[in-house]
Amino acid sequence: MTDTLSGSTQTPKLEILNLKKSFGALAATNDVSLTVRAGEIHGLIGPNGAGKTTLISQISGELIPDSGQIFLDGVDITRLPAYERAAVGLARSFQISQLYNDLTVEDNVAMAVQAQTNKRFNFWREARKDPSLREPARRALDQVGLLDRAGLRVSELAHGEKRQLELAIALSLKASVLLLDEPMAGLGAEESRLMKNFLQDLKGKYAILLVEHDMDIVFALADRVTVLVYGTPIFTGTPAEVRENEAVRDAYLGRED
Amino acid sequence: MNRKNFVVGLIFVILLLVPTLADAVSNSFLINTATRFVIYALAAVSLDLVLGYGAMISFGHAAFFGIGGYVVAIMAHHMDMGETIFGWAGTNSAVIVWILAMVFAAFIGLIMGFLSLRTTGLQFIMITLAFAQMLYFVLVGLVMYGGDDGLSITSRNVLPFVDISNNRTFYYVCLAILIFWVWLCRRIVKSPFGMVLRGFKENERRNINLGYAPLRYKLSAFVFSAAGTGLAGALWANYALYASPDMAAWLKSGEFMAMIILGGMGTIFGPVLGTAVYLGLEQLLTGWTENWMLFLGPVLILVVLFSKRGLFGWLAGGKSHD
Repeated sequence: MTDTLSGSTQTPKLEILNLKKSFGALAATNDVSLTVRAGEIHGLIGPNGAGKTTLISQISGELIPDSGQIFLDGVDITRLPAYERAAVGLARSFQISQLYNDLTVEDNVAMAVQAQTNKRFNFWREARKDPSLREPARRALDQVGLLDRAGLRVSELAHGEKRQLELAIALSLKASVLLLDEPMAGLGAEESRLMKNFLQDLKGKYAILLVEHDMDIVFALADRVTVLVYGTPIFTGTPAEVRENEAVRDAYLGRED
Repeated sequence: MNRKNFVVGLIFVILLLVPTLADAVSNSFLINTATRFVIYALAAVSLDLVLGYGAMISFGHAAFFGIGGYVVAIMAHHMDMGETIFGWAGTNSAVIVWILAMVFAAFIGLIMGFLSLRTTGLQFIMITLAFAQMLYFVLVGLVMYGGDDGLSITSRNVLPFVDISNNRTFYYVCLAILIFWVWLCRRIVKSPFGMVLRGFKENERRNINLGYAPLRYKLSAFVFSAAGTGLAGALWANYALYASPDMAAWLKSGEFMAMIILGGMGTIFGPVLGTAVYLGLEQLLTGWTENWMLFLGPVLILVVLFSKRGLFGWLAGGKSHD
């Protein structure tokens, strides 16, 4: 490649091309193409059942698309097993918290730290006494403001704290792309504000695909927004453009007969 | 010393004192009962590693118990016929035979696990049960090794320096192996590997998402557990001087499970306690009625209903499974 400089700036961090996924007659993902650039927050909005989570699940490898491709740094990862996607730099947070409820908060993050090391297949060391696993875990907890909860079992946490923990885990994966599936789900006004500030801090450090129901938050954070309706992206543009767009308004006001 | 360590310490002190106790009440039968108990506990602890920590509900662990027993019995059988393996005089050595029993059980565990671990939940229970039943019928069909009747063994294997033909010594050897195995399992459970194994039980989706490949971890634990159960089978054949297809029957798998559930799943120490209670109940109640399981049932139900971690969880408190 001769134009390496412009090439590297133009190659999107994450690129999705003509992705399709159907469940029976329902086209949950219907020809979706979108890109997330390095350092960008790309918002993904759409009414309930628009296929946002289905799309995230295909990028994270839990679902395999019927057709289409997913590229990370230009490498096709469409059929890479889910358990190998963390290693190439993809981290996902879940809409409904997926945590180890019977382990401590610190354990939960340490599991993510451990996944990055070569110590994972070690039968001998005591995992909970290994500073190389515990210290990064504690730093991540500190970052999301959960350090004082480190010793509690996850089942003892409040809902908002579980959302913070989800994020601490995603951050510990040393990922370059974050797939955040409704990080604000179920949060109160104050908690939402904190989470929003926190995401604001992450901006520029990761390529983020942010699924969110709350449009105000998406418009405040995202550089670009894609609107998904019944599995089909109907518009992609800056928040201002999305706000102005007729088709988007129709979709949200329910005039799409 | 916290409550959990106290309970664990107490269990092992009692186990160490059994022979002395047997002398005191001049009841040599007690040592036999205790030996039986220690051997079963070894199998139950091994099963707890996959069942309690990896959420792999294996209904086929009796297969490994049977394999362990048959390795001992078949080698002894040939020894009695004057045939040594490859003409080698050490065919009766416990170190060799017991390790061979473990290796063989581990190998079958590898195949069985590799094929079964593609499934989870109910299918996994059924497929492990099916494999164990297959082995059971193979053993029944081994006419040259006694078929349905099994094989009796004329004498125990030989250990250097200790004479395990003595019941009391044999008990101590079995107990030492149990203590070592419990220690090893605790070690594994606390290791990074063990944390991943627990992760698969707690939240498989999250584990995969973090980058842990399921088969590698689950299969390793399964194979290790098979080896431990195989060793228990080898000890059993030495204790009973007999191996029969019943060792590999599904009832045996069920017994191991009942012991774990009674004692406390996912605690390693719990199954030791569960084995004591299970065999204790059996001993007490069979003297009274043949249908002793009629009483075991309600006890199991009560334990399941009222204690998440079985008897051990109840005795040791909140830290029982750390």
